[in-house]
Amino acid sequence: MLQPIRFIFLSAAAVCLTVYGCAPQSARRVPVPPPPAIKAPPAAPAPPAQEPGKQAFPPDSKIREQDIRQKTPPPPPAAKTSKEPGRQASVGESRGGAESAPAPLADDSSLLAKITPATSPQRAASLRLTDEGRKILDAGDPAKALTRLEKTIVIDSTNPYGYFYLAKAQYRMGRYRESLNFLDIAESRLGPEPFWLAEIHALRGDNFRAQGQLQRAEASYNQAVRLNSGNRSAADALTRMQGEAQPAQAQTK
Amino acid sequence: MIKSKLRIFSISLVALLVVTSSGLVFGAWYLKQLEDEVSKKFEGRKWVFPSKIYADSYFLYAGGSLRIQDLTEKLHRLGYFETAAVPKSKGEYRIAAKEGLIEIYLHDFDSPTEQFKGAPIRITLQSNVIAKIENISDGKEQYFVELEPELITGLYERIWQERKVVKLTEVPPLLVKTILAQEDERFYRHFGVDPIGILRAMWVNLRSMSFRQGGSTLTQQLVKNFFLSDERTLSRKIPEAVMAVIAERKYSKDTILENYLNEIYLGQRGSQGIFGVWEAAQFYFSKPLTDLTVGETAMLAGLIPAPNRLSPYKSADAAIKRRNVVLAKLLDDKIITRKQYDAALQEKLPQRSLVKVTNEGPFFVDYLRRELEENYSNEILTKEGLRIFSSLDLQLQRMAERALANGLKKLEAAHPALKRKGEDEGLEAAIVVLRPQTGEIKAMVGGRNYGKSQFNRAFQAKRQPGSVFKPFVYLAALMYGGQSGTKYSPDTVIDDSQFTWAYDGQEWQPHNYNNEYFGAVTLRKALESSLNSATSRVAQDVGIRRVRDVAHKMGIQSALPAVPALSLGAAEVTPLEVAVAYATLANSGQRNRPLAVKHVVDQSAKVLERRDVRPERVLSPQLAHAMNQLLKGVLDRGTAASARRSGFTRPAAGKTGTTNDYKDAWFVGYTPDLLAVVWVGFDGPRKIGLSGSEAALPIWTEFMKNATASMPVTDFAGPIVNPEGEDGKCGQVPREGESGDPCPAAAQPAKAAPAGA
Repeated sequence: MLQPIRFIFLSAAAVCLTVYGCAPQSARRVPVPPPPAIKAPPAAPAPPAQEPGKQAFPPDSKIREQDIRQKTPPPPPAAKTSKEPGRQASVGESRGGAESAPAPLADDSSLLAKITPATSPQRAASLRLTDEGRKILDAGDPAKALTRLEKTIVIDSTNPYGYFYLAKAQYRMGRYRESLNFLDIAESRLGPEPFWLAEIHALRGDNFRAQGQLQRAEASYNQAVRLNSGNRSAADALTRMQGEAQPAQAQTK
Repeated sequence: MIKSKLRIFSISLVALLVVTSSGLVFGAWYLKQLEDEVSKKFEGRKWVFPSKIYADSYFLYAGGSLRIQDLTEKLHRLGYFETAAVPKSKGEYRIAAKEGLIEIYLHDFDSPTEQFKGAPIRITLQSNVIAKIENISDGKEQYFVELEPELITGLYERIWQERKVVKLTEVPPLLVKTILAQEDERFYRHFGVDPIGILRAMWVNLRSMSFRQGGSTLTQQLVKNFFLSDERTLSRKIPEAVMAVIAERKYSKDTILENYLNEIYLGQRGSQGIFGVWEAAQFYFSKPLTDLTVGETAMLAGLIPAPNRLSPYKSADAAIKRRNVVLAKLLDDKIITRKQYDAALQEKLPQRSLVKVTNEGPFFVDYLRRELEENYSNEILTKEGLRIFSSLDLQLQRMAERALANGLKKLEAAHPALKRKGEDEGLEAAIVVLRPQTGEIKAMVGGRNYGKSQFNRAFQAKRQPGSVFKPFVYLAALMYGGQSGTKYSPDTVIDDSQFTWAYDGQEWQPHNYNNEYFGAVTLRKALESSLNSATSRVAQDVGIRRVRDVAHKMGIQSALPAVPALSLGAAEVTPLEVAVAYATLANSGQRNRPLAVKHVVDQSAKVLERRDVRPERVLSPQLAHAMNQLLKGVLDRGTAASARRSGFTRPAAGKTGTTNDYKDAWFVGYTPDLLAVVWVGFDGPRKIGLSGSEAALPIWTEFMKNATASMPVTDFAGPIVNPEGEDGKCGQVPREGESGDPCPAAAQPAKAAPAGA
């Protein structure tokens, strides 16, 4: 009795299947869905209260690409004028800040010109990489420049220009404290090169200014101009600061 | 009688109806179930993608050192293969050792920030130094070459499926035709199952009296792989067939084909399964699909029934034999011409060996994973195919592992008491290697045998640092001076005699090694010879709280109790913390956070996260330099002088550490460009009875000798004090977050020291 029932049952199911299989296909075409997008990791939680005297690592250790994008182009107006070293102001144009304006220093901005037969291979490679990093930075991609520039100090940890452009990249990304730290290293590695020392002071000024430390910014710009009256970015920044200071004072009073 | 017959008939009819209709209902329900399952798979997540962890990329530059052997090993691990002729396609390289030439046709490679197109390059070597790098195709000189980073390991659940999903349009038609000719000739003519195919397969098998052909359609194979386990039974065949039919009804032939081409299993590389045609083309031929030759296409398609048995990695003969069978079928079916066929038969198989993922640096990977887990769930890490670029240098990692294993073996041979028979717990050690100027962790070994114990002593073991802590005492002294008014310099004279330090109603007495006391010594001598009594006296004068603060500033994160014993390193810290703190000295007083993860990139090449070098100024460069000079003395004259006798001659600074109870032996040492910390001890409370210079220093020396062999010799550069510079202005108000006089007495170590304490 059971056999025929099973037979009938199965054949009914088979009929069902055949009918289904041979029926015209539905017009539906389901596209292959794209892989699910990954959400960026949640923002880092607020750092826990620290013990007095105990400094944790910078809490903003996680930089997301979005943040980087948001922070370029740089926020401070000074950035516009902080042109690359070498864009010298002509003597006549140099104004403000410099008390006694000696002739501007010769343009020493070319990193490749620093490579001579006496240069160590590490320094030479590091300088070439720094130059590449500078170009990428000029093209407006500080994140990509950073990756390149970090290699410059791995190859030659004493290359001051590598640290200088790391400072510049950090500045462009709005990280002024880090930028200032890199400038300190750049300065301690720099030989007697007033042109570059002026560059360091000028960028330091930009950082202080972006942090709102106007007095320090002014002092740094002044030092830059004293060292090199042709340092236009510092001179321009000084002029602008003087212009901004007056209406601001008027308002507060 | 008739009535009863009629009754039986009607009952049977009803029963039949009931059975039939319930069969239909059940059939419909079952179909619905299967249909739901099919659409869930086709429209949902079909595949999971393991995340991959890469080592740091390898940078070659004109003027840099390079050993041919290191490079060839590296190329081999990256899947390059040697040819006799000038490399013509990506992934080939040639060595002409006599002429000092290496030619490499680089792979394409997507770094987190840019895409590199593979190009042929020629490197000219002159006695292990790169004299020139040029692009072979245009002859242009190039100053650097970046080799793609090595894959260290993958993060996955259960099995590692290596797969890159491609669209049907990206697959060459010849490959599709070849696969169809092999696997399912009537693919475009059946509805999921192929009765004609089955009959034919039966006929072929019957005639040859062996299993030659299967009747499964491509759709059935796909369904089988998608849903069902690997058992070969009839009960599995039925739902497989039903689901195949459902899939065909719901989805187009192209969709099914595309899924099939991405789903199929095509080989095995160690723990990685190779899935899909794109990945297979890479695995067997290092080529994109569009570059496959007719012979390679045939070989790939021929692998499908038994990828491991027919693999060219296993047997070139078997693979070629199989390829030729496929080629003959293609010729028969007029898919290729006679000319193509003849040419394909002549194709030679390059000799290549299988390069497996080595799963190196397991302790480093554990550390890295821990860091990643702060931001990404396990689900994302194992399924979303992230690419994680790390700081690891595999060569340094191997050197560190070797130095540790050799060193412990030698110790046990020299001191048999360290290895008692039948004891489970053996002597252990840990190494952390950092690059001071970036904070990158270049190597990490957390123990002797990862298989036996995964406890990562490099960052999980809190141990007493002993004398390794002393430099923090002297830094605090140079920075702040004493409460007595003493201004410390390296030449300040300190009293090294027994004394008692009374605090909080308690008394504490430091003891020197061997109870030897030296009386009046300079600060320099006290540090070089690691004198306990003199150090504690300085700590007392400076104030133990200041000592603690300096240690924290430098990078020690563990809690440090401000008690006198802290001055001799009684508070527990990890080797990684010690590495970070000393790297701050090597990096001119700028503390870097330890970096293991550098970039995290998702499948669409979007950078999810990047961690860059972010120094934090915690000491003036002058002070850091003064301390580096002092710690150089430890190697040149002090407790670590045996490193010099063992042949490590380049400028370096360091400090030995031995705890009072002889449970921990340490050495931390660094050149301006590389720092390594070595800890040796037992996990339990057992004593090793050896000092840092006896137990840890030999391991450090062996590692550093190898690690720096191809690096240029550099010395610690003193800060150049620019009179106009910020650092030149002593007594200036410290910057935010900074404390103390940036220009302590030690800033001018050459000057005469003030009178001693």
